[in-house]
Amino acid sequence: MNAEYIVEMKGICKSFGGIQALRSVDLELKRGEIMGLVGDNGAGKSTLMKILSGAYLADEGEIYISGQKARIHNPQDAFNLGIGMIYQDLALFNNLDVARNIFIGRELVRGPFNLLMDKKRMYKRAEDVIRELRVDIKSPKMNVARMSGGQRQMVACARAIAFQSKVLIMDEPTAALGVTEANKLLGLIRNLKDMGLSILLITQRLPDILAIADRVFVMKGGQRQDILEVSKITLDDVVTMIVKGKDRNENQAHEIEYKSFG
Amino acid sequence: MDLNRRTLAVREKMSQIDLSGLRKYTVIIVLLALMLIFSMVSPYFLTWRNLTNIFIQNTYFIIVAIGLSFVMIGGGIDLSVGYQMSLVGVVTAMAMMVYHLPVWLAALIGLLLGIILGLINGLIVTSIKIFPLIATLATATVFQGLSYIISKANTFRGYPEEFLFLTKGKIFGIPFDIILTIVIALVVSFFYTETVFGFRLLALGGNEEATRLAGINTRRMKIAIYTICGFFTAIATMVMISKANTTNSSFGPGTEFIALTAAIVGGVSFMGGEGSIPSLIAGVLLLAVLGNGMQLAGWGTYAQFIVRGMILLGAVAFDEYQRNAKSKIKIKG
Repeated sequence: MNAEYIVEMKGICKSFGGIQALRSVDLELKRGEIMGLVGDNGAGKSTLMKILSGAYLADEGEIYISGQKARIHNPQDAFNLGIGMIYQDLALFNNLDVARNIFIGRELVRGPFNLLMDKKRMYKRAEDVIRELRVDIKSPKMNVARMSGGQRQMVACARAIAFQSKVLIMDEPTAALGVTEANKLLGLIRNLKDMGLSILLITQRLPDILAIADRVFVMKGGQRQDILEVSKITLDDVVTMIVKGKDRNENQAHEIEYKSFG
Repeated sequence: MDLNRRTLAVREKMSQIDLSGLRKYTVIIVLLALMLIFSMVSPYFLTWRNLTNIFIQNTYFIIVAIGLSFVMIGGGIDLSVGYQMSLVGVVTAMAMMVYHLPVWLAALIGLLLGIILGLINGLIVTSIKIFPLIATLATATVFQGLSYIISKANTFRGYPEEFLFLTKGKIFGIPFDIILTIVIALVVSFFYTETVFGFRLLALGGNEEATRLAGINTRRMKIAIYTICGFFTAIATMVMISKANTTNSSFGPGTEFIALTAAIVGGVSFMGGEGSIPSLIAGVLLLAVLGNGMQLAGWGTYAQFIVRGMILLGAVAFDEYQRNAKSKIKIKG
């Protein structure tokens, strides 16, 4: 396995009943890079990432993390390997505060048999994470239900990176955000890259990808089409790849009108 | 203009105040208000004897409600608790009265049976994946049938003194079942607020899928909460039959309605993810005070059914209103 890559997925197949969602997909993520995953609805982007995060089990294929073969059977396995995921619906708990949302499943414990929560340390650590991320959340005791979409996204990020994650997967993080909040989030993603994380970003907002990603991974029909270097492509190149796939003719997709949502 | 701006600023500040925290005190305030009303309706209501009687008569309801709170906070429901009590009651009684087993052994058999019945509910709910409401309605019917078959519809009375100590005995002048109830309430309250399991229970009720994605074995947790409910239901059964010094298969059914109503009135959310023991106890006592007060006021037993039903409706509606209100309160990011 190539030491340059922090994540390698090889020959990943997944079907749901009679529907083949992924057909022998290979993906390589370099250390410290932001890779955008793009493709039309049903291309298999979220399914591929859910396999990496342990939410789904692949039917076939192998995953390597930092060159070592990894067995990811559930989200806990992914967490132990340093993989954090922010789901499209954020998977937050509206009945809990910020600190509890960050630490659910990874509580700081004390006392006999580690049965008791160390609330003091948890709230302190939550404060530290909020400060590191430089996000607009006043207190770790704020209830998540009262937060805006942008703040909730920040809490989901904080949860994903609070435990020395190496890889962060973000599924449509800007989908429900307004322009200002989306820009704040993109700034946060750049900060996370500066902090040393490698990031996989699923999004339909192609201008976002071109703004912050290093490479773009294009999927169509459950298959990998290509990986493009962002510095060498235009928006039209990406759109053409998404719509026509790798076996396209050399013509640009001038007849396809692309509307930017960003 | 200045006045308008000030008014707008005050309104904005007020809209940002989170009143949901006050909800847990609402039931206590309503309880105190009811006590005040009934003290004016009847001179016998606000006597020490009457008030302590209310508590003593409702200790087993409190224990059942505490057991049910594990399931409800975790996002489930168990409508079979009353029928578990029926089955556990006759088995425990028969162990003592028919098979003449030592009291400690009979009680242990009853507790184990309660745990098994809870475990059965947990396994059914997680394996067959049907709505807990339907699953536990079905098991309720099964438990009731078993109760009648095992007891042959007989009544068992006159338990040994050691068993009756549960409700007739006193320690430092305080009835033992009151001490037992308070100890259970304190232990469970601590469990909810300080332990990892208690914390994860709130998460499970708040968002089950997110709990699973956080790496928590939600199936195991759900089985555990139904089993714990069965355990506390069994304890409540011992108290109930000791109090009555008799039992048959009709003892128990109906308790689930009171426990459910009390839990919801006491702030345990019907949708899961919320609840506290002090408010839950206040919920039980509120219903008890209502029943006692109505009786002293001469309203009759049947009117209480109507009032309890309306209270349940009102409590669920208020719960839903609170949820919708919370989702509308947002702070601009």
